[in-house]
Amino acid sequence: MRGGMTRRRALLSASALIALGSPGWARDYRGAMPWKAGEVYPPDSIASPGPWLFLTAEEAAMIEAIADRIIPMDELGPGGRDAGCAIFIDRQLAGPYGQLDGWYMQGPFPSDPLPTQGYQLPLTPRQIYRDGLRALASYVAHAFNNRKFQDLSGEEQDRLLTELEKGKAKMDGFSGKVLFEQIYGNVMEGYFADPIYGGNKGMASWKMIGFPGARYDYRDVIAHPNQRYTLPPVGLKGRPAWGPPMADGAGGRI
Amino acid sequence: MRALFATAVAAAVLSAAPAFAAPDHPDQVERGRYLATVGDCVACHTQAGSASGNAGFSSHGFAGGRSIDTPFGKINAANITPDQETGIGNWSADDFYRAMHEGVRPDGTHLYPAFPYTDYTKVTREDSDAIFAFLQSLDPVRSEVNRDSLPFPFNIRMLMLGWNTLFFKPTEFKPQPGQSAEWNRGAYLAEGLGHCGTCHTPRNMLGGERNSRPLAGGDLQGWYAPSLTADNRTGIGSWSDDEIVEYLQTGRNAHGAASGPMAEVVENSTTLMPEADLRAIAVYLKHPLGSHEAASTPQPLPAENPQMQVGAAIYMDGCQACHRADGEGVARLFPSLAGNPLMQQSDPESLVRVVLQGGRAAATDAAPTGPSMPAFGWRLTDDQVAAVVTYIRNSWGNAAAPVTADEARKLRERLAQVVK
Repeated sequence: MRGGMTRRRALLSASALIALGSPGWARDYRGAMPWKAGEVYPPDSIASPGPWLFLTAEEAAMIEAIADRIIPMDELGPGGRDAGCAIFIDRQLAGPYGQLDGWYMQGPFPSDPLPTQGYQLPLTPRQIYRDGLRALASYVAHAFNNRKFQDLSGEEQDRLLTELEKGKAKMDGFSGKVLFEQIYGNVMEGYFADPIYGGNKGMASWKMIGFPGARYDYRDVIAHPNQRYTLPPVGLKGRPAWGPPMADGAGGRI
Repeated sequence: MRALFATAVAAAVLSAAPAFAAPDHPDQVERGRYLATVGDCVACHTQAGSASGNAGFSSHGFAGGRSIDTPFGKINAANITPDQETGIGNWSADDFYRAMHEGVRPDGTHLYPAFPYTDYTKVTREDSDAIFAFLQSLDPVRSEVNRDSLPFPFNIRMLMLGWNTLFFKPTEFKPQPGQSAEWNRGAYLAEGLGHCGTCHTPRNMLGGERNSRPLAGGDLQGWYAPSLTADNRTGIGSWSDDEIVEYLQTGRNAHGAASGPMAEVVENSTTLMPEADLRAIAVYLKHPLGSHEAASTPQPLPAENPQMQVGAAIYMDGCQACHRADGEGVARLFPSLAGNPLMQQSDPESLVRVVLQGGRAAATDAAPTGPSMPAFGWRLTDDQVAAVVTYIRNSWGNAAAPVTADEARKLRERLAQVVK
């Protein structure tokens, strides 16, 4: 029987044929994809000026101080504070990212996850900032004679941040390493993300590294190899040559 | 009792019979179906709420209710299915011809020229009868439409008597002796059922078509129907017959794509027409009667103009990836802006609108993609919209009047109203 067609196989083939041939299963799609005039999906959490949305003034001051140590101002560009990293972080925390909307946030949470497993904490970014910064403030007050983080000298701040990063500073009730990694990542994002989100003021970081911004067609550039790329960077809201940009909060769906 | 029941059934069957009977002249009905396609009845008469493109040729494409914007108010298109009470089930072929030819209903009241009887008047009696036979073959749909939605004083239909005296005379199509049969076929289609002029001919203050300037471009309440004259800059003088046929057949050609209301015309009407008729229309459009007065060509704005400089920057960052630095676009995918008449109309409304809320090219069986352009209104100010449109209107050989931020603002407000 081996090699020949078994009864079972014949049956299977027949049912497969029926499935393929059944008109009820096939659908004929005609016409274009649905499209609506004026339909837009602007980025979440477009930053607009105004008071802090999630952070307290004290928390914001701490973040600005930390951002300025992670990315200090130098001849190449502004520091993390002036670039607006704290504004970026505040607007992101106030938006969907703050609560990780859309992430799977049920357990189990392994205590020693592999790096490939990605984010494995039960905490939302809001909780990390709120609880972590509180723990940091009390740690600083304890270790530095009732001073605040933002009042420490640059050297003291650097030393403390290094200890947090290496897990050497033992804060009460919160992992210094978790807090440091969270802030470090978000400061980098704020420094390099599109200015529409509140950081990267004046596209300073893009100018610094030569990133062209929200452009996506380089055929003309590729056609001229070995020539310097001279176009200025452009953000989602344009660049100075566009004239005054849309007032924040204006626009929206037409 | 049984006899009574049988009588009742018979009566019911008899009274319902006209509506459900198979048409006596299937050839005529099929011809009428085609002519109704040429006339694009569904563009307006589709049932309110159903997208006209999907209405196809079910009865719902003719059940009425779609609201038509006019400068005088909104008019709801009539139910033209053979429903006895809410449709035209009680009409005769004579009644139908009178509506087409004179713009008058069986009871003597006047129709508004939103129903283009000013063009349909040229439809032959034979064609009118075929369309009527087709409409009568549809399933009747009960669909009550408020046919008196215009505000005072335009709700007085008697006014149309005066309007007709000024702007309308029932006429029959007369072939031009000096022209080819093809040209005359094109003229019959374009001036009659095709009613191109309803949108593309400018109107005066009272809504009368300015017959001295046929197909020179018309305002459509939020769109501007471009000129179809033989002018090279603003009309279709630079398009070949083949390119016009391709445009009507597929919704695009090497120059550009139909979008907005014209996309609907292509999808519901012209793409379903045989090539011979489309070619006839092309021949007619390319060889208009009378001498063509070359429109004076304005000087393009200089590149140093501040609006042009802002516009150039926005174009480079926002438009160039698809429409290319030289404005040539990509044939049959991204419309060419250089030398495109649509960019150089006296009224920039369609252009501003597409920048504000995006656009989608017609999707036809021949070119099913229907590529779309995203909306920019959410991230460009009125000043920026005006600048980039001004730049497009005055670059790569284009030349047209600059656009003001005020024009962009007004259209933005109008569109916001439409969406509500």
